[in-house]
Amino acid sequence: MAERTFNLPDLGEGLEEAEIVEWKVAEGDSVQLNQPIVDVNTAKALVEIPSPWAGTVVKTYGADGDVVKVGEPLITLDVVGGEEAAPAEGGQEPKKREAVLVGYGVDQEGKSSRRRKLKPPGPRQAAAATVEAPAGPQAAGKVLAAPPVRKLAKELGIDLSSVPGTGPEGRVTRDDVQRAADTAPAAASAPAAPVIGSGAETRVPIKGVRRLIAQKMARSWAEVPHVTTFHLADATNVEALRRELTEEAGTKVTALAVMVRAFAELCAQHPKLNAHYDKDADELILLGSKHVGIATDTDEGLVVPVVRDVQAKGIVTVAREIVELVEAARSRRATPEQLTGGTVTVTNVGTFGSDFGTPIINIPEVAILALGTIKPRALVVDGEVVARPAVTLSLSFDHRFIDGAEADRALTDLRGLLESPFRLGQLPRG
Amino acid sequence: MADETVRILAPDGRVDEEDRRGLDLKDEDLRQLFRYMVLARNVDLECTALQRQGELAVYPPAIGQEAAQIGSAYALGERDMVYPSYREVGVAISRGLDMVEYMKFHRGTWHGGVNDPVGSGFGMFSVPVGSQPLHGTGHALGTKLDGKDVVTITYFGDGATSQGDVHEAMNVAGVFGAPIVFFCQNNHWAISVPLEKQTAGQIYRKAEGYGFPGVRVDGNDVLAVYRVTREAVERARAEHQPTLIEAVTYRIGPHSTADDATRYRTKEDVEAWQQLDPIERFRMFLETAGIADQSVFLEAEAEGKDLAATVRAGIQGAPPRDVEDLFRWIFAELPPVLVRQRDEVLRLAEEDRDG
Amino acid sequence: MADVTMAQALNRALRDSLAGDDRVLILGEDIGKLGGVFRITDGLQAEFGEQRVFDTPLAEAAIAGVSLGLTQAGWKPVCEMQFDAFSYPALDQVISHIAKYRYRSKGTTGVPMVMRIPFGGGIGAAEHHSESPETYYAHTSGLKVVVPSSALDAYNLLVRSVQDPDPVIFFEPKSRYWAKESGDLAAEGAPIGQARVLKEGQHATLIAWGAMVSRCLDAAEAAGEDGVDVEVLDLRSLVPLDIETLAASVQKTGRAVVVHEAPMTAGFGAEVVARIMEDCFDHLEAPALRVTGYDMPYPPATLEEHYLPNVDRILLALDAVLTH
Repeated sequence: MAERTFNLPDLGEGLEEAEIVEWKVAEGDSVQLNQPIVDVNTAKALVEIPSPWAGTVVKTYGADGDVVKVGEPLITLDVVGGEEAAPAEGGQEPKKREAVLVGYGVDQEGKSSRRRKLKPPGPRQAAAATVEAPAGPQAAGKVLAAPPVRKLAKELGIDLSSVPGTGPEGRVTRDDVQRAADTAPAAASAPAAPVIGSGAETRVPIKGVRRLIAQKMARSWAEVPHVTTFHLADATNVEALRRELTEEAGTKVTALAVMVRAFAELCAQHPKLNAHYDKDADELILLGSKHVGIATDTDEGLVVPVVRDVQAKGIVTVAREIVELVEAARSRRATPEQLTGGTVTVTNVGTFGSDFGTPIINIPEVAILALGTIKPRALVVDGEVVARPAVTLSLSFDHRFIDGAEADRALTDLRGLLESPFRLGQLPRG
Repeated sequence: MADETVRILAPDGRVDEEDRRGLDLKDEDLRQLFRYMVLARNVDLECTALQRQGELAVYPPAIGQEAAQIGSAYALGERDMVYPSYREVGVAISRGLDMVEYMKFHRGTWHGGVNDPVGSGFGMFSVPVGSQPLHGTGHALGTKLDGKDVVTITYFGDGATSQGDVHEAMNVAGVFGAPIVFFCQNNHWAISVPLEKQTAGQIYRKAEGYGFPGVRVDGNDVLAVYRVTREAVERARAEHQPTLIEAVTYRIGPHSTADDATRYRTKEDVEAWQQLDPIERFRMFLETAGIADQSVFLEAEAEGKDLAATVRAGIQGAPPRDVEDLFRWIFAELPPVLVRQRDEVLRLAEEDRDG
Repeated sequence: MADVTMAQALNRALRDSLAGDDRVLILGEDIGKLGGVFRITDGLQAEFGEQRVFDTPLAEAAIAGVSLGLTQAGWKPVCEMQFDAFSYPALDQVISHIAKYRYRSKGTTGVPMVMRIPFGGGIGAAEHHSESPETYYAHTSGLKVVVPSSALDAYNLLVRSVQDPDPVIFFEPKSRYWAKESGDLAAEGAPIGQARVLKEGQHATLIAWGAMVSRCLDAAEAAGEDGVDVEVLDLRSLVPLDIETLAASVQKTGRAVVVHEAPMTAGFGAEVVARIMEDCFDHLEAPALRVTGYDMPYPPATLEEHYLPNVDRILLALDAVLTH
């Protein structure tokens, strides 16, 4: 003999409980297989339950009128023949039953009840910072890009949220990602993973200037919460002034020089752009002089020669100095003074055809301006679409000290300056 | 019942001797008929209990319909083919089906109830009411095209006669002269809807419209059912003519174990039909005629208990089905889309096993 | 090599099947003396007799259910639903029995039958004669759903369908019945379950079946004139679906447009697009688009040109995926 407990089965079509109407056996009674033991009332019918085993009643659960849930014990029997006689999977153990439409769900053995753990998702590619300063018409917090572009960005180690999208509705295109990889040194020099199966590998030691660049970029990227904001400016007047001054001076005056000079003017209006962050003192040092670094591509890598006191100089002078400094840097003749002491930086990504940049701040500075390529674009002037030379101004700023609104005001002012023949004309020319 | 109803055995066990002598049944056959009826009753009761004990999902008892089922099935030849509905436990037993496999349908272990329909001469359960007579007609047509000496019988209920498929089947069978017997067990109830709400006419007379004979028989009289089915089978075999048989009987139990018949019919109704119980009626005849005695009855009862115990032990002891079976028989060859799905299920099942 | 219409090719496929396998039967409405309303069974009763090619009463559920019964007596019936929209009365037999018999019988009892359904619009027909119900069948596990797009492949696919061990729903694009193709009739083409690349291209993939395949080829040609190199994929069978060929093509081009006559919502195009999402996500340059019939009852014949996908609509979709 062995004790077995019979649990209330689902008597049909997903019932959950039944009310005991009348016990037909009492503790101590001996019962036969299929002998009626109890009448129960389900939501659908009065049902007579037959004993699943022959044996002696040890215990009945619930009195007449009590409600028993499906799967809960109904009766315990001392079963004739014990383990051997009792069927292997007769309702002896509490069974988990699941409501089904026509029937019962025999038992849930073998059915998974294990709750699988989900892997928490990684951070979304859109950084929170872009929320305050959305790049162009992109929706806040979302980067629009086709799946293969996302894949490419991942392979190249490019953070999509840092790439300005040139596609429809600000969608990041394959070209945008490629450009970001080509122009953002930190990013371009550090692909996430080597492309497997691409043939023989070449290992290039990172040393010298490259190493310094790498360290500086990495530090800036790690420490500074970068945000980049973009404005498209009509460059008609910049071009006109450049040509005018070139003729006047008899030497080439570039649009870069005009804009660097204008930027220095802007920094006077927005002193927080022209500042150093003193980490140890935790102070922002607003600097009087506008020493503008010019990010320059050399065979060694990126170097930043500095045009000193730009605010004190005329455009033609700035133009000439830029040519000299860049030449010196490329021929490795630049002196340490020429390569240090900048208060703010300009990078001319347009040189290589880029429309936009998301430049990395040259710490301890707190802002950097990227100038895109100047080319004819469809602009709306007086309600008419016209082709005008235009330039995109990309301003990366340290979001710890400069808010999006301030940065956008600064860029709006810069755009206003560049677009206004009157105000542009007031800049010192010589 | 009207005069047209064929009956040999009266409810009190008396027989029309002339009719009985016309039957090609030996005493041994009569005892066998009795035995099958008792087996069916026992299996029905056991399976109802098994459902109450949580071992079957649902069960549709055929209590009260044993004479209709066993009398008709006994009239078939060995190679004849059956297309049942889902309440033909008596037919299944007398055709020698494996009743453990059969009940796996009701346990939810697998569909269909029959392992090898063509091989065992017994089509799978057909739950969509009235859909199977078309399969029977097709099969009958097929065997006729081959010139085979095979008759097909299809079972359905009074409710099914409201279904278009049943009429399409009879129509096609009439047009092509298919060797088939349409066997309708009029048990008076389609779940809760009574016969008079299924048809304003008489079931057996619908055959006339299809151009073949229709017969009404007392479905609780195993001898009469045997006789009319035997005649229909012979007619199908020899003349390729279909027959519609309406066996008037009664569903003593609920539609299924999930049903509560007290909601729509009276106790008196049921009790009146219990007085016409087909097994008791036949037992009285066998005893009075000296064909069987108490020992035969007790032996049949014991055999019934054995079969019930076999079913109980069989379904409880059946190993769980291989998860891979889910995908094994969808197509002869599993297409790539399903290969993926199967691999996922197997992987998840394996992960579950490994914890 | 002679020109052959799809109707002739299908007729030859049935004739060769009847001649090559004496268990094959043909049944349906008006398929005997008349030779079928589209003449697909023309001459077959005369050649093979009324035992093997026979008209049935006008009852589609019966045609389907009787065909199932015939398979269990050892025959291989090829039954015809006269028109797409007349196949619906047979759906219960198809879904509840024909599709499930092998499964329910644990593999012992397959259903080797073919149900031919002329389908689709573009033939200026009256109501109930122009529908595209392939999704109902593709959604029912256990059925193969086969759709030829050209005469030679129609022959190949129908012969293979008749010999298939599982039930095949064989959709015949009515508007292509009289389209000719030059070549020999032989069941030597790709088997059921393989898609065909009918035109290779680099810039985008057009995916279609049945009548829309030729429409896509026309669109691809037009796109080619504009310098756009479009690949055209003929699925040939919706079940089994050739996900490998589909994925390979879309992974190559990165852009996909599915074209079908049936309404858009829950149409088979949705299934194709979902497969593309699963297998080609990282390769997509643009969302996969659908060009389909609109979500409405099939319109009257004089308006169907606005309903059916045409070259312009396909080109618009191509433009959308190319300029995304």
